[in-house]
Amino acid sequence: MSKLFPVQEIGSLAKPKWRTKGLRQPLSSQDLSEAEEWAEKLGIDDFHDRAKNIVKTCDEKERAKEVLELSTLYGLRLFETAGVDNDGVGGEQQRVEMYEHVIKAVQGMHLLGHVHSFDYKYFNKGVAESKISRKHPIYAPEFSDVKKYAQRAVKVPITGPYTLMDWSFSGYYVQKQGASSPKTRKIEAKREFLQDIVEQVVRPEIRDLVNAGASWIQIDEPAVTTHPEPQEMELFVEAWNETVRGFSCKFSDHTCYPSEIGYKVLAEYAPKLDKCDQLALEFANRDTSRLGVDESSREGYSDLKHFVDAGFSGEFGLGVAHVHDFTGNVSSGAGEAVGRDLIESPELVRDRLLYATKIVGNPAKIWANPDCGLRTRTWDVSFAKLANLTKGAELARETFE
Amino acid sequence: MSPEIQLAGIHPRSEKLIELTRSYERAKTSWSQVEVQFEQETKELVKLQKSLGFRHISDGALGWQDQLRPISRSLKGVESGTRYSRWFDTNTFYQKPIVVGKISAGEIDPNDFLRTELLTGERSPKITLPGPYTFSQLSEDKHYENYPDLLSDIAIAEREIIKRLRKEGVSLFQLSEPCLVYQPYRELFRNESEVELALNAIRSVVKDNPEEFVVQTYFGDVAPIFPKLLDLPVRSIGIDLFETNVSSLSEQTSKTLVLGVVDSRESYVEDPYWIADTARKLSEQLDVQNLVFASNSDLKFVPQGIANQKLEALSKASQLFEASR
Repeated sequence: MSKLFPVQEIGSLAKPKWRTKGLRQPLSSQDLSEAEEWAEKLGIDDFHDRAKNIVKTCDEKERAKEVLELSTLYGLRLFETAGVDNDGVGGEQQRVEMYEHVIKAVQGMHLLGHVHSFDYKYFNKGVAESKISRKHPIYAPEFSDVKKYAQRAVKVPITGPYTLMDWSFSGYYVQKQGASSPKTRKIEAKREFLQDIVEQVVRPEIRDLVNAGASWIQIDEPAVTTHPEPQEMELFVEAWNETVRGFSCKFSDHTCYPSEIGYKVLAEYAPKLDKCDQLALEFANRDTSRLGVDESSREGYSDLKHFVDAGFSGEFGLGVAHVHDFTGNVSSGAGEAVGRDLIESPELVRDRLLYATKIVGNPAKIWANPDCGLRTRTWDVSFAKLANLTKGAELARETFE
Repeated sequence: MSPEIQLAGIHPRSEKLIELTRSYERAKTSWSQVEVQFEQETKELVKLQKSLGFRHISDGALGWQDQLRPISRSLKGVESGTRYSRWFDTNTFYQKPIVVGKISAGEIDPNDFLRTELLTGERSPKITLPGPYTFSQLSEDKHYENYPDLLSDIAIAEREIIKRLRKEGVSLFQLSEPCLVYQPYRELFRNESEVELALNAIRSVVKDNPEEFVVQTYFGDVAPIFPKLLDLPVRSIGIDLFETNVSSLSEQTSKTLVLGVVDSRESYVEDPYWIADTARKLSEQLDVQNLVFASNSDLKFVPQGIANQKLEALSKASQLFEASR
């Protein structure tokens, strides 16, 4: 793409109520009233025909299929209407979430139960109970709908093998190890489990996606920066390189919310990632919300230097919009705090992009995106943030024209 | 006598309790309903420990929202803040304590730490607390100019908290010090002088009744500092066998060793024969007479059903170990 500062989505959008309910039970016209409002905003011309079909169908599977297809169409149109250049898969509407969606498609694994994360937050954790393999295509059905409706470029985000391994219990793979030392047993189990995730699950999936026409795959690896030890980073690099081996599409990595030293360690290993054309990283979360292109105003982007210094020569997907609750102060002209949301102004987005350009040196290497998926924000907020993000990218572009 | 078995931290909540707490958060369940379930599960856990022959009983800290929170809230000069940080390299988080003033013990409510009413009359209650070094490492300091002063004040304040808990009948205190062996949040691992500071802080905490303390390490290899830990005036030292290079341990000791011999971060339930055999080899290697079998850290990282099976495996392994002596 020759345009400077193209804008991309990075992950999921919130699931509309009608999408969630429609997968479990019949929908009434009333249930679809929110969809009707958005249909006007997003130009979904055949909404009424689709709604009639969804309401009248008695076949559960048919209804679920239509609901998922419609929500994907909505997600794509939301991104397009906001001015986004690459719309991903429309906000991952066909996935429960990034981890469970994959585990449910893996033979030999099941979701074991919930584990405490913090406060009253938990996550469902899977376990390998036998040698694993892919039961059925994981992302390809979604990609088929995306291809049908996308009017702009798309990329397919997939959950990376290292993260799948790290967020799961190794179970069977620990049990089968012969080493007597508990430590050695654990290390060997981890390596073998990861190899099987790459070979038996992720590579077959990428093959299907590439065969179906996917030209850009974003590999989400949030877990990698939680283990900064060289041994773990080398394992990650090895898994990445094996994952992408032999495929000719574009690959990018998305990592976010690292530990204190996470980006510095990732930067050291990033040049070793084969075919990694882009690193899409979260930065806005750690940045100030005041205008300026000086180092102190843009303190959140300081870690970008590590990647440049380490010699990573690919593109950067720059997180320029915060995706979680916001509790700080916003300086004049930098945006607006509305309840728990921050709507960044186009000028703040512009300044973040321009500051990053100073570090990276080449504006053609910078994409603009939210820090991560916008799933915790309402559609109104997501739309407002994305619209300002595209306006901010345009302002940054103007400075180079 | 067969090796003792102990809980080594926070025990997991059941799926039922998890659902209730989620429902409470969505304002669909009253707190009293959640509280009933907390109480029920604590009682069940106490019963399980007794049935498995535990000599020190814990309440499982089911209500603790993270490993630091009760201490944070009992200290003057510390605010809880709203920032969540990753708990080492796990997929779990803790509210980062922010040090905003000189630290001292504040108003201490024992109920923030343990279910005193459910432990009344129970044999030798045990509680697990973050050690002073780990607490200081995982806090954000906005007040002290010198790190040693911060560490020293945390130790003094923690000693006051422990005094108060002792009045409630607690007779065994585990000080968890994972930061002594694993620091994934730092570029440079702690040096020797920092270890000395940390050990002095621990000495300060335990000085009134050293025999009531276990210093537990986990998530990292204890071997490099094992000799120094053995010099601490405490009852026992805990090691994580899933992270420690066991062959590097050579020091003989008369201290009790707490073996983290079931993995709290893996769902596979260890075979009791394997546990007993692993413990036997280590006891021969170090000529240790007194062993405690435990998980390597909080069992909260696995679902409750798995955690309970792991406790049963420890109990069975303890009997096998004794039978083979």
